[in-house]
Amino acid sequence: MQGSTPRDNLLLRCLPAREYARVSAGLEPRELEHGAGCLQAAGLDDAFHFIASGLVSLVRPTDGDGHTGIAVVGREGGAGLEAVTGGASALAGGAVALTPVRVWSLEGEAMRREFARGGAMQYNLLRFLHALAEQVARTAVCKGHHSIDDQLCRWILLALDRLPDNEVPITQAVIGQMLGVRRASVTDSAARLERDGLIERARGRLHVPDRAALEARACACYGAIRAEHDDLHRCLGETSPRA
Amino acid sequence: MTDSQPASGPRDNLLLAGLPDDAYERLAADLQPVELARGQLLSDPTAEPDRFYFITAGVVSLLYHTANGSSAELAVVGREGGAGLSVAMGGHVFPADEVVQVPGSAWTLRAEPMRREFDRGSELQRNLLRFSQVLMAQMAQTVVCNRHHSVEQQLVRWVLLSLDRLPGNDLQMTQESIAHMLGVRRAGVTEAAGHLQRKGAIEYTRGRIHVPDRTALEALACECYRVVKSEYEHLARESAGG
Repeated sequence: MQGSTPRDNLLLRCLPAREYARVSAGLEPRELEHGAGCLQAAGLDDAFHFIASGLVSLVRPTDGDGHTGIAVVGREGGAGLEAVTGGASALAGGAVALTPVRVWSLEGEAMRREFARGGAMQYNLLRFLHALAEQVARTAVCKGHHSIDDQLCRWILLALDRLPDNEVPITQAVIGQMLGVRRASVTDSAARLERDGLIERARGRLHVPDRAALEARACACYGAIRAEHDDLHRCLGETSPRA
Repeated sequence: MTDSQPASGPRDNLLLAGLPDDAYERLAADLQPVELARGQLLSDPTAEPDRFYFITAGVVSLLYHTANGSSAELAVVGREGGAGLSVAMGGHVFPADEVVQVPGSAWTLRAEPMRREFDRGSELQRNLLRFSQVLMAQMAQTVVCNRHHSVEQQLVRWVLLSLDRLPGNDLQMTQESIAHMLGVRRAGVTEAAGHLQRKGAIEYTRGRIHVPDRTALEALACECYRVVKSEYEHLARESAGG
């Protein structure tokens, strides 16, 4: 079953055996149900969480009690970079599990110690930070410039890159929250994409019958983020699943 | 044996000020003073970076450009940080141009001594990582701001973040430059600036923005300004902790 070993996460898989041995004893498995809120709120404060299966969105609080999605992460990375960079978790945005998620958590001190050694863990984390920065930056551009249809295409494709098959088992309401748009807007946009044969809507999930068609419809933001994602896989020593 | 510090020197930069003396001394001989000119490009993602700039005065923006010319300003940096982070991190981390928006000064450190110090796993590495996190947080907040807030609010945020890094209450910026930074059409900036003028929050003539009353302008800011400000105030406190 995917996620059942730490090495299902790419940052850990691509550590040389000796380096992996240093951290493996400290890795604690955790299951997060979909919708499970902020990892900080779950008491998993000073730790980095290597994602082994499922889809996580990094989020930022918005006016009132809401939050908006900043980036999506799967097993190519993790949540809790603040544990490495050292910022107070109270200021961090947090993360939300969008599907059932399995993580392997390493507490902050051990993480920082391993990072400071300057070996493969540091390299892997900085490459992940790079890919994440590209996704966040490009998302900022997309939200400022592109239509909701464009943003929805981008989001669905990024989710598919991190999930098995061609299904996104997430409700339109949650997707709307991640995009920071009203639910009605997402429903309308999804209806348009369905009318054009790009997605099929069912209760609680979206199916994508033709990925190439959806990619052709998407704005350039998806391609830019995807290119960084593929590069990350290459640097971590694995062919991207969709390359 | 050491010279007394000049009135203004590298330790006007908070990343350097927060280093213990032995760590600072390792770098001091390699630090070179430079002036930062308006519009100067300190690093761009397509070129190999060769030095890090510890900013001591002025304001630098991180600007993301797409192939078709769309842009978004991702973050604002002053003497709490620097430009050219990729030099330390072994490659381009932030996919943006780093452009001088308000002229100032910096102390540069070339790649080799920077990398050497970073690889020691010392306080400099810790300060740079914290700084990178603050940049990431600013970028993340931009995502929120671009989605939820008006051009006027984004303009207010940018003016306040810049003034936080400058002495006085004045900012020299053409509407064209602001439009490029916020990733909007110039007409949008004219309109937003007009609203702010009518509210008495700014005076904007001949490319100079004057803020007569900061409190009034802050009252018009979206929460994004306060969120970003608290992040780098936290950074400044931690840097000072050494």
